[in-house]
Amino acid sequence: MDKLNWQRVSPWALVYFIVHFAFRFVKDGVFNLLPIMVVFVTQVENKLFWGQIAVAVAAVALLIYSLAYYLNFRFCITDEHEILLNKGVFKKERLTLNFLRVQNVNIAEPFYFKPLSLVNCIFDAAGSTSQEAVLPGVTTQYAEQLREQVLAYKATQQQQVHTNQQIDDLTTTEPQQCLTLSNKEVAKFGLMSNMAILALAALAPFMNVMFDFLEKAVINRLESFYQQQVGILVDAAALAVFSILLLVVLIAVLLSVLMSLIRFYNYQLYFQAGKFKRIAGLLERHQLSVSLDKVQSITIKQNLIARLLKRYTVQCFQASSGGFAGAKSKQSLVMPVLDSEQVNQVCQWVYPWLDLKTLNFMGVEKALLIKNWLFYALLPSLALAVLCVVGDMLTLVYALLSLLLLSGLVYLSYRRYGYYFYQHEGRFYGVFRSGMVSVQYRVFELYKAQSTRSISTYFMRKGGLKSLSIQLASGTVYLPYLKAAQADEVIDFTLYQAEFDQRSWM
Amino acid sequence: MFENQQLDVLPQHQQIIFKPLAAKALLHAQLNWLLFYIPLMAVLAAICFFNKGFAEVAQTPLLIALPIILVISLLYNIVSIRLKGVAMREHDIAYRKGVIWQQVTILPFSRVQHTEIHRGPLERKMGLASLRLYSAGGMSADLNIGGLSHDDCKDIRQFIQKYTERAQAVNNANTQTDGQQLDSDESLNG
Repeated sequence: MDKLNWQRVSPWALVYFIVHFAFRFVKDGVFNLLPIMVVFVTQVENKLFWGQIAVAVAAVALLIYSLAYYLNFRFCITDEHEILLNKGVFKKERLTLNFLRVQNVNIAEPFYFKPLSLVNCIFDAAGSTSQEAVLPGVTTQYAEQLREQVLAYKATQQQQVHTNQQIDDLTTTEPQQCLTLSNKEVAKFGLMSNMAILALAALAPFMNVMFDFLEKAVINRLESFYQQQVGILVDAAALAVFSILLLVVLIAVLLSVLMSLIRFYNYQLYFQAGKFKRIAGLLERHQLSVSLDKVQSITIKQNLIARLLKRYTVQCFQASSGGFAGAKSKQSLVMPVLDSEQVNQVCQWVYPWLDLKTLNFMGVEKALLIKNWLFYALLPSLALAVLCVVGDMLTLVYALLSLLLLSGLVYLSYRRYGYYFYQHEGRFYGVFRSGMVSVQYRVFELYKAQSTRSISTYFMRKGGLKSLSIQLASGTVYLPYLKAAQADEVIDFTLYQAEFDQRSWM
Repeated sequence: MFENQQLDVLPQHQQIIFKPLAAKALLHAQLNWLLFYIPLMAVLAAICFFNKGFAEVAQTPLLIALPIILVISLLYNIVSIRLKGVAMREHDIAYRKGVIWQQVTILPFSRVQHTEIHRGPLERKMGLASLRLYSAGGMSADLNIGGLSHDDCKDIRQFIQKYTERAQAVNNANTQTDGQQLDSDESLNG
C-alpha cells in the first residue's frame, strides 16, 4: 500500500465538483423535493425570505460537500495497470478499474477549464456508467499520456496480436477521414429530434402553476384583445388558448434547438483505422472515441420532419446494459444531421458496400398487409361507423375518411418493411428496413446476434409464414411475415455465425 | 439469401425435438393460478355479502362469469404447458412457448452472460425450478423457463458453465499461438 503513489487532482477540479454536484442535485434531487416544495408553496407565508434562506443553505452545503469531496478525492495509477480512485465523503469508496476493462478514454473540456487548458479525463468501462471513472482538472498532456498508456497496454494484451499489426499497418497508410457539421445543420437536429417533448415533460410538474399564471396574466388580456380585434365572430377564449398553445410549442422547439446546439456545437467527426473520434459540445467539448469493432448495430433513420429537411440521423450503438440505448445514451455515437451525400460518405468509410439507394431490399409477404388492414384500418373504421350511426353525431363520411387514411398508413408501413443480406470479405451483414412515414435502416453484423426468435400464429403456420426477431446487444430487430422457409434459413444462418465465428462480439 | 454466397447445409432448427417440461409443471401452473384466483373470489364474495347494493347488481353476472373464466383458464394452462418445450443442442438452447403466438427462442451458449435458478415456495415443495438465462442487450431475462425439474435446471446450468469454460480455454490457447493459426482460421471463413 505504501508504495502506491496517490495523487490529488488540481485545486481547480473543485469547480468541476461544484458544477457536477449542482447538476446532479437539480437532476436527481428536484423530484424528491417536490413534496417539500408543495408544502412550501401552500403553507409558508413569507415565501421570498424563506426561499432565500433555503437557497443559501443549499449553496453552502453544496460548497462544503464539494470541498470535502475534493479533499477526499485521490487517484493512483498502479504498476499492475489499474486505476485506483478513492472518493466519497460520508461513504468512502474505492474504485478499481483495470486498463483492460477500459473501453474508451474520453477527454472532455468544459468551458470553465478552457482558460486554464485543463480537461476532464473520462475512463469508460464496458457497459456500465456507474463504473465510469473521471479525473477532473488534469492537464491536456497528462490526459493524452494516460490515454496512450491505456491504449498501448490494451494493445499489447489484445488476444489477436496479428490483427493489431494489421491495424497498425493501416494506421500508417489509411488517411484520416473527416466530417464536420455547421452549427446551422446542428440546429436542424433540434427541429428533428423529439427533445421538445422532453423539455415539455420537464416542465410538467409546474404546469398547474403556469396555467394559473397564464390565465390571470395573459389569457384574459388576450381574450379582450381578440374581442376588440376580431369581434364576436370567433370564440375569443378558444383563440386565446390556441395562441398560448402555439407559444408553448414554439418555446419547446426553441429549447430543443438550444439543447441540440449545446450537445453538438462545432461537430467534428474523424474516422481512421476502424475507429471513430467525435468532438462536439458547447459548454463542454466532449471527445468520444468508438471502435467500429465494438459497434453492435448502426441505425440510419429519417423521421417526418427530417424528411422535409432531407436529412438523416445516423447512430452507432454499442452494447448497452438494459436496452436503454437511446439517443441520450453516452455510449452511442450520434451523427445528428447528415444529408444523403454525407450518409453515403460515412457508409463508405464503414461498410464500402453499403449504398442505401442501390440495395435490393426484399419485402415481406402480402398477408401482413391484409392482416394489418383488417385489424388497424377496417376494424377501427367500422367501430367509428357504428358510433356515427348510433351516436347520430357525425356522418359516415368521417368513417370513410378514417378508413382511407388508415389504409394509406398500413400500406406505407407494409411497403417499408424490407431486408437485405450481404457478404463482404467473409463477413455477413444484415440490413433491416422499417418505418411508416419515417424510415429506419438497421445494419448489423450477423455474428453479433445474441439470440433469435421466431413467432407464428395458427393462421400464419397454415399460410407457411413466420415473423422473425433477432436480439442484438443494442436492441432487437424485427421482421414480420416472412415465408417460413426463409425465416428459418435466416435464423439458422445467424445462429451459425454467432456460434462459429471466433471473433469476440463485444 | 446472400449476394455472392451459396449456402451449404446448415444445422436446421426446425428439426429440433422439444422435450416437454417436468411432469409436475402442469400441477404447479394450476395451483399457482388458483392461488391468485381463490382469494379474488373470496374478496368478491365478501363484498357481495356485506354490500347488498353491489350484490343486487353484480351477483348473477359474477356467478355466471367466474366459473366460466376459471374453467377456461384451467384449460388454457393445460394447452399452454403441453405446448412448452425445451431443447439443448451442441451450441445453443431452444425454448418453445405460446398458445396463440407460438415462439421459438434460441440462445447460443456463447452469448449467455449469466444464469439464474429461481425457486418459489411452491416450486421448492414440488421439486421444480425456473431457469433464467441472460444475454446482453435484453431488458429482462432472454429465456425464462419455468416448470423444469430442479435437477434439469442444475444440469443445464452446469452444461453452460462447462461450455463457457471450454470456450475460454480455446480462446486462451489461441492467444498463445501466434498469428499463423489465426490466418488459417480466417481463410476458412472467407
